[in-house]
Amino acid sequence: MRLILIILLLPVLCYAQSTDTLITKKLEEVVVTATRNERALAALPMPVTLINKSQIKTMGSLRLNDVLAEQSGLAVVPQVNGVGNGLQLQGFDPGYTLILVDGEPLIGRNTGSLELSRISVGNIKQVEIVKGPCSSLYGSEALAGVVNIITSRPQGTRGNLSARYGTFNTLDLSGDASVQKNKLGIFVFANRYATDGYNLSTAPHGQTVSPFSNYTGNTKLVYKFNPKTEVSISARGFQESQQLSFDVVASPTDKIFTTGQAQLSDWNINPVVTHRFSSRLKTVVRFYSTHYKSQTNLSIPASNSAYYHDDFGQSFTRPEVNAEYFMNQKNILTLGVGTIFESVQTSRYGDESQRKQQTSYAFFQHEWLPIENFQLITGGRYDRNSVYGSQFSPKLSSLWRITRSITLKGSFGVGFKSPDFRQLYLNFNNSAAGGYSVLGTEIVADRLNQLESQGLITTYLFDPNRIGKLQAESSRAFNFGANFSPVQKLSVDVNFFRNDIDNLIETQIVAITTSNRNIYSYRNLHRVFTQGLEANIGYPIFKHINATVGYQLLYAKDKDVLNQIKGGMIYSRDPVTYATTQLSSADYFGLFNRSRHMGNFKIFYNHKEKGIEGSVRVIYRGKYGAGSLQGNIQGISPPVTDTNGNGILDRYDNFVSGYFLINLSAAKTFKQKFRMQAGIDNLLDHKEPQYIPNLPGRIIYFSINYSFSKKQTQ
Amino acid sequence: MKNSKTVLALAYSVGSAIFTACSTSPAPVVLQATTYSNLPADPAKSFDPMNGAPIGKTGKFTFFNFSTNSIVSNADSATTKWDVGFNGLTIIVNSGTSGPGNASALIQSGIFENLKTAPDAGYKTDNISNKAELYSQSGSSNLAIPTTAGNGWYSYNSSTHVISATAGKVIFVKTAAGKYAKVEILNYYKDAPASPSMTSLPDYYTFAFVFQPNGSKSF
Repeated sequence: MRLILIILLLPVLCYAQSTDTLITKKLEEVVVTATRNERALAALPMPVTLINKSQIKTMGSLRLNDVLAEQSGLAVVPQVNGVGNGLQLQGFDPGYTLILVDGEPLIGRNTGSLELSRISVGNIKQVEIVKGPCSSLYGSEALAGVVNIITSRPQGTRGNLSARYGTFNTLDLSGDASVQKNKLGIFVFANRYATDGYNLSTAPHGQTVSPFSNYTGNTKLVYKFNPKTEVSISARGFQESQQLSFDVVASPTDKIFTTGQAQLSDWNINPVVTHRFSSRLKTVVRFYSTHYKSQTNLSIPASNSAYYHDDFGQSFTRPEVNAEYFMNQKNILTLGVGTIFESVQTSRYGDESQRKQQTSYAFFQHEWLPIENFQLITGGRYDRNSVYGSQFSPKLSSLWRITRSITLKGSFGVGFKSPDFRQLYLNFNNSAAGGYSVLGTEIVADRLNQLESQGLITTYLFDPNRIGKLQAESSRAFNFGANFSPVQKLSVDVNFFRNDIDNLIETQIVAITTSNRNIYSYRNLHRVFTQGLEANIGYPIFKHINATVGYQLLYAKDKDVLNQIKGGMIYSRDPVTYATTQLSSADYFGLFNRSRHMGNFKIFYNHKEKGIEGSVRVIYRGKYGAGSLQGNIQGISPPVTDTNGNGILDRYDNFVSGYFLINLSAAKTFKQKFRMQAGIDNLLDHKEPQYIPNLPGRIIYFSINYSFSKKQTQ
Repeated sequence: MKNSKTVLALAYSVGSAIFTACSTSPAPVVLQATTYSNLPADPAKSFDPMNGAPIGKTGKFTFFNFSTNSIVSNADSATTKWDVGFNGLTIIVNSGTSGPGNASALIQSGIFENLKTAPDAGYKTDNISNKAELYSQSGSSNLAIPTTAGNGWYSYNSSTHVISATAGKVIFVKTAAGKYAKVEILNYYKDAPASPSMTSLPDYYTFAFVFQPNGSKSF
């Protein structure tokens, strides 16, 4: 095995011998997400970001959204319904990045995207972010990229207890322990997070984020039968409950005060058998199964009656076999097959019957290292789904180390996102203001016929026959980058990206009923692109001080809108004076919620001998158009930033202005056992109540940590 | 309900006024752009406080005559006294299946003030043989002013449920009396809020129009 690693790392090792500390450090940094195998970060031909545990600890982060919000090219934005935290990557909406824990997907995408704050970072070893489509290895949803959370494995006999208390009465308690004896290793982790939430609005009832508490438990058991065979079982459980109280806007003239509770839970189990048939062939068999449940109940205290009930249950099971085969020093082959069984059972589909779909897939990847400084990775995956058909996702990436200080990287890939259960089966009726129904494409025809025969349709606004089977959304992406190291220790990474996305699924209004309810369904509609560049510079200013600068330039636009502008079809009308002008391409800013400029500047100080760490992180998000957030849970919809009657974001619209967040932290470790930390997030107390509901204002916190370990012989 | 008159002495009209003055024709009319506010298009009388369902809708159209700048009584629905009618998002013209007249209309993209001549051709009459054909965009049976979101005079935001009158959509109407008018819908909510929201009252049209009484296509 050691031999193989050396072969793999050869191109990098040659430079490591130049005793360049940065490269040596990069050599140690191994990621698994980009190729599904352990590879040195510096040897990967696609853009990959690695955030390790010590960095997360120094930042004082608690939840995944805290960590991701500070990374170059990423923005943590409210979800589609205006609440929570979703991830925007290379200008893609939150639903287009696959979130994995140890290579397995988390489910429970409530509004199409995953709530990042569900994930505690206390048990994380590192976070790996691969940018650019990864459907060639991971299938659906890996359109923008993949975030893979690698959790700790049993390592020696050690333990850790920590507590953090801060603003909004937020208390986080965490503990983990690891025992390793002979062939057996066990790791356990437990976390409780509770907060009073916060309020940014002036509404008479409720808060922007209502009080909630959650528990996370995680265990991993590893047993090494012999040097060739290892079995591991990991399990994770999560439970959260939240108290709700707010006014529902029932009509333009009525509000209803409601109270209630929201509960959600998920758990998963993942047995994995790893066997090495020889030093050349490694096989992994896994059987991952995960379940998610959420429930919301609202009642009206005034009349003591039930107002709203919603439940949602989802399960995902995936057996998979994959193999990594080192053919020779120049060729490595990875193959895998698997099947995904998914089901959803929810009140939102009109009945509680279970909807199922099944996806079978096979993937391959060939790593070719013909000469010392060059490698080419070819891969592809074929997915066959029982509802929306089949999909092939190829990917090609290459790395060329031209000189000791210049490395070029390029990749081209195809990604896709399958229509989700919601878009297929939803049968949702909202009784709030402007009451509406949303019907999935698989049921819309039947439901409309039913309503028509009852004489309940006033007007059709779209030909229902044109709502056909949904196709997967797909993208083609180029990433082209370079790494320069002009002087020792200075590292400059630049990556240009371009994503062309077709068949984006959008809601389509279809009809109006006699009770004035709008009926929607879904259609493959828009074609958009996102393109730009990301740059990262790292330099150790002094011995213990590392400074990094990150920047992303982004253009994200709708191609159909651009065509309409070219055809002179789009105008802007001042909402007050009604003065109208024709828009030119230059007036069009692009998609909502995307900043053209984002950046960060971070200084990390770490003096291991003295046990002192600290950090100053400045995060910038440039101006953007807030689009149409549905409003927070209080039902208060912020004014749309598109104010001039054309449905697009242009320079005459209102923008959310750019802002800086400054985060500070400092920690001192005593006797390698006790650690005390204090920090301030959002030092400037920046708030934008209407448009950034997930930015609570200044947070001050203190934490203590006790860790112990036993010297291990093993 | 109020009428605010904005006098836009259009450059074109002024120009032609000077020329025609020399040839001793009748004094030319300086066309005025009129803004009509809060035309009620069958709004709800109230809402069910529990589920928001509108109460008290009549299902009747509100008829309008451009030459008199006024609403025509619903009792006159079978006459040619009205040019267009409004109910919810639907706008009808007095012709075909909607009324006894010969009114017709088309939608053109452009800037209201700059579109100074009504198109020669392309006008359609209302022709709905049944309700289900309302949506048929290519079919021969249709409304002159399409009801379809994004295809006609408005766009719909599925997140905020707000109806926005689309900028740059000018409706040319050949009235029941064979005269021409150009119309731009400006707002769909009561008192024309600049930034409508869920709490704005729908089904109140604010629109600008210019009526050419002399029967020519020039504005």
